[in-house]
Amino acid sequence: MEDTESFTLLPIRLDPTSKAITSTSNSRALQEELATLNNLHRSLLSIESPVPPPPIPVNPKRSANITKLRESGNTEFRKGKHQEAIKFYGLGLQMALTRPLWEPQGLVRDEVAGLYANRAQAHMAMMNWVEGAVDAEASVEAKRVGNAKAWWRRGRCLLEMGRLEEAKEWVGRGLEMEGNEADLVGLLKEIEERRKRA
Amino acid sequence: MFNIDWWSLGLPLAYVSVLLGSLIIFSSLYRKRKAAASATLAPWFPPHLQRNIYLSLLHLEPEEGKEKAPTVPESVLRAALLRRAVEDIHRIIQVRSAKQACSTLLQRGSVGDDLWQRFLRAEKEMEEELRDVVMEANALSPNWGQTIFQSANEIAANTVFRKRLDEIQAQTTAEKEWWEKKRASIKSDFMKELDGESTTPAKSSANKTGSDEDAILVESGGPAVTDKGTMKKKKGKK
Repeated sequence: MEDTESFTLLPIRLDPTSKAITSTSNSRALQEELATLNNLHRSLLSIESPVPPPPIPVNPKRSANITKLRESGNTEFRKGKHQEAIKFYGLGLQMALTRPLWEPQGLVRDEVAGLYANRAQAHMAMMNWVEGAVDAEASVEAKRVGNAKAWWRRGRCLLEMGRLEEAKEWVGRGLEMEGNEADLVGLLKEIEERRKRA
Repeated sequence: MFNIDWWSLGLPLAYVSVLLGSLIIFSSLYRKRKAAASATLAPWFPPHLQRNIYLSLLHLEPEEGKEKAPTVPESVLRAALLRRAVEDIHRIIQVRSAKQACSTLLQRGSVGDDLWQRFLRAEKEMEEELRDVVMEANALSPNWGQTIFQSANEIAANTVFRKRLDEIQAQTTAEKEWWEKKRASIKSDFMKELDGESTTPAKSSANKTGSDEDAILVESGGPAVTDKGTMKKKKGKK
């Protein structure tokens, strides 16, 4: 960083009508940063208060909507309409991921983890192993501990696709995180058996 | 006697004065060098882009042909300040995680003193930067200084998290292509198998990777061996 007393004057200008900030410079970092800034500015304009509210408390409206979408997805899943369930979970995910960035990320992680895990299950029910594996991985990324189901689902999908090495490594990591979860231990055994036969 | 004393003392005196003189010259030169070096120590962080944008907005130059500089709406300034706070959060995290490692390395003598000097300077600058941001925030909106870093912290964490999720989801297409290929080859192998020994219709019920392998392994005929070979090759591909 430069001196605390000085700064570099950048060649930027303000569009008088759209209030967007543009630059004549062709530095990529600057252009990207300005795009992010303009996005943030737009999302700041959409809230009532002049500054983003502190992370807590959260506006309960969006949370309620997300919960509702998940429940509808669950109902469809139980009815056996997996395609519909996937659609509902997808909508819920979209809603959770378009939360304003200043809302608590812990909350986003929780919601997203549940939705991805459920969508993975629906994909698995339709034997879409690839999508199931990716969704389960996303779920684990959102919530590493206490998410044994998602660990198991990706392991299962990898096994179904015949990627035994990967499956073994993945389930091993899952066991480190989750302790000796019975389902994961069982899956690991199954993988080992399959490896021996292969 | 007086004269002789001076003449015999001359040599040692000259020796001492030359010695002292050279030491003084060396020390002053050395100190000057060192001061110059510490002034030009490479900064720890690259230029603070967000800070520059914020301050450039405050000092926006009038456009050509106009006398007055355009007034920047406060909402833009607030967004710019928030971006600056987010970058500060990234930097604080870096400073905190580097501190332990740096001091350990310094104690062991693995890194030079100037690295430590650079680090201390970065730390001090960050403190000042934070104070500055809080002051600016309070000036833009009352009491914002108390919460701006909370918001910035969430923004930083959320951005990283979403990027990671996008990366994971982006794998889907490539993985799917791979799986389609693999499935097709399994299928064709399987069909060959069937053609080869049409006497065992039980195999056709198996449709998964693993389970068709089972079926093949039961009969240790020639085709099973070739199938195993292709399976291995496929594994090598990914």
